[in-house]
Amino acid sequence: MNAAYSLDHRRQMTGMSFVAPTVLLIAIILIYPIIQSVVLSFGQSSIDGSEPYEFVGFAHYAKLMGDERFWNSMAVTFTFTAISIPLELMLGIGLAVLLNESFRGKGIARLAVLFPWALPTALNTLMWRWMYNADYGLFNAVALQSGIVDRPINFLGDEWLAMFSMVVVAVWKTSSFMALIILAGLQSIPRDLYEAGRMDGMSRWQEFTQITLPLLKGPILVALIIRSMDALRTFELPFNLTDGGPVIATESLSLYAYKVIFDFIDFNFGAAIVVVQFLVIFAMSLAYIFVLRTRN
Amino acid sequence: MKKTLIHAAAIVATAFMAAPQMASAEDLVLSIGSRGYGQMVEPNIEAFKANNPGMSVDWLKVSDVPGDSRKLYVTGLTAKSPTPDVFAIDVIWAGEFAQRGWLEPLNKHFSADELGAFNQSFLSAATVDGSVYAAPLYVDGTHLFYRTDLLEKYNLAPPQTWEELIAASKIVMEGEDNPQLYGFVSMWAKIEGLFMNWLSFTGGNGASFFDADGNVAVDSPEAIAATQAMVDILHTHEIAPQSILNMRPDDARTLFQQGRAVFLMVQDFVHAPLSAADSPVAGKFDFKRNPYFEGHADGHSTAMGGWLLAVNANSENKEKAAELIKTFTAYDRQLAAALDANRAPGRSDVYTDAKLANAGILAKLGANYDVGVVRPSAQTGNLYPRVSEVMQLEITNALHQRKTPEEALGDAAKQVKEILGQ
Repeated sequence: MNAAYSLDHRRQMTGMSFVAPTVLLIAIILIYPIIQSVVLSFGQSSIDGSEPYEFVGFAHYAKLMGDERFWNSMAVTFTFTAISIPLELMLGIGLAVLLNESFRGKGIARLAVLFPWALPTALNTLMWRWMYNADYGLFNAVALQSGIVDRPINFLGDEWLAMFSMVVVAVWKTSSFMALIILAGLQSIPRDLYEAGRMDGMSRWQEFTQITLPLLKGPILVALIIRSMDALRTFELPFNLTDGGPVIATESLSLYAYKVIFDFIDFNFGAAIVVVQFLVIFAMSLAYIFVLRTRN
Repeated sequence: MKKTLIHAAAIVATAFMAAPQMASAEDLVLSIGSRGYGQMVEPNIEAFKANNPGMSVDWLKVSDVPGDSRKLYVTGLTAKSPTPDVFAIDVIWAGEFAQRGWLEPLNKHFSADELGAFNQSFLSAATVDGSVYAAPLYVDGTHLFYRTDLLEKYNLAPPQTWEELIAASKIVMEGEDNPQLYGFVSMWAKIEGLFMNWLSFTGGNGASFFDADGNVAVDSPEAIAATQAMVDILHTHEIAPQSILNMRPDDARTLFQQGRAVFLMVQDFVHAPLSAADSPVAGKFDFKRNPYFEGHADGHSTAMGGWLLAVNANSENKEKAAELIKTFTAYDRQLAAALDANRAPGRSDVYTDAKLANAGILAKLGANYDVGVVRPSAQTGNLYPRVSEVMQLEITNALHQRKTPEEALGDAAKQVKEILGQ
């Protein structure tokens, strides 16, 4: 008895000592900043410690609730997420199914599809900003010379066009990420299911909707979680493409928080924005995880 | 421009991280953009080294877009980084940075006489509780640049007023019949430069940010009328392209330099690239005081900016850092900057130098600073960034016709008063 207990105990200790460094690292780089943000959001302080921390309760959150600009950035973030994620998903599934077929040059095609994803968002975005430019941009040069329009289109200067332009960049960039995860899922579907289906006289469309899609639910949900979290935190895209403009039509939550923190140097109010954003993303992730659990 | 930012960010990040290890006791890091004062930095460093043998100075070339370099400084300074030792700050940050305790007071390094030689309005912007925190390096105003060849072709005189500018733009645009040619371009993106622009327009109509009693007056009838004129230039007269709302100074400058605009209103720094040997408009342009509105010839239409040098409060070599600032602001170095690089001196005593009397450009610039309008940074202190943001946002609302100028400025006045506790 005693020996068994101590063996168990020893095993446990060994296991814990293996996990400990990772847990410590995560605690330092992940949990500490989260706690720090929450603490900051409930107080008034100066970031360099020259003023003592003063607890103010929900004051910053109350201000947030009445802050039009915060609600605007919330609406922008959700609009962007709600439009871009379904488009990315549809395109991603299409690409994955295509790349799963065997054809000549498949390797190169797979590489090409991944290219936008592999480049840093900031670089991609600057490239697109150049193409969108009303005076020197590629799109306007083509549109003007071919006579489609007689005045340049100011892609990034109109509220809805700017949002549309931002969604296009996001879809162009991240559909391939969706495709990658879904492709991995596709390859794990046993071939014989399709053979059985064909014997039963299924059409290609029936194969897709009745075999492929149901078995892809897992990978699709994973891709959705990761991409939705990304989209709800989007920063480099509006920062480099529109700087939140025109006016504040593309100012995402992250960009607003950034401006409050770095332009106004108001870490406390900024922390409140960040905490609310964290809660929103956390709630959404929980919802996704709940859906995943029940499905499996 | 963004590429430069990323580049600069990388350099600064490296410098911040590497500085403690690599810095020998003598090393200084100077941070200043290359566009505004670049031509003078190397010669000035050489002059400093001549007096301080064995010292080495690293030049950190940060972005000349003020908002960009500001972000780098804020990040480094809140973390109490000891580098850069000396950095160039926009006049609008001086009060704020000093209040936050990021700058070394210069009074112990400069005598009262030395401080007395500087442009006093700039010096007062850097004075908090009687201590001076930065030394004026150069004044960078805004001016109207125009195409002499095009105006001559249509027998037009350089416009004194906005009314004349609008009429002249229409004549040239109609005559040239080139859809690629615009009448007026400027920096109307939602940036600090837009606020400067607006101050030029409203100042040129006799308006001012605060009234005589110090109350916020951004929604005065004169300011509303001037803002309406900005809206009309874009939407009614259509002499400016829609893309002006996305333009930063260099975007507007590039269009003008490519010969695609008749008038350009931006900061003086564009004079150098526009007159460069490979510039398509070299020799075909001139500049003058910003226009005013009819009946307001004495309106303060020259929005002014400028840069100062300050010592990092956490610098490990404050003595030598202050020494470096002294070199940059010495009489002969300031005179050299004026003569060689057309940089308007931060010292007042240089303007009366006989050598400058013959330097046409600078004499012209200096005269227009008499009708200068400075941004309300001294009055608003560390609240200035919020005030400027409100102004940028509401002016943009008006330019995008989301609000009428009256609504936008009314909202702006309400918010600014709230921020300032009026």
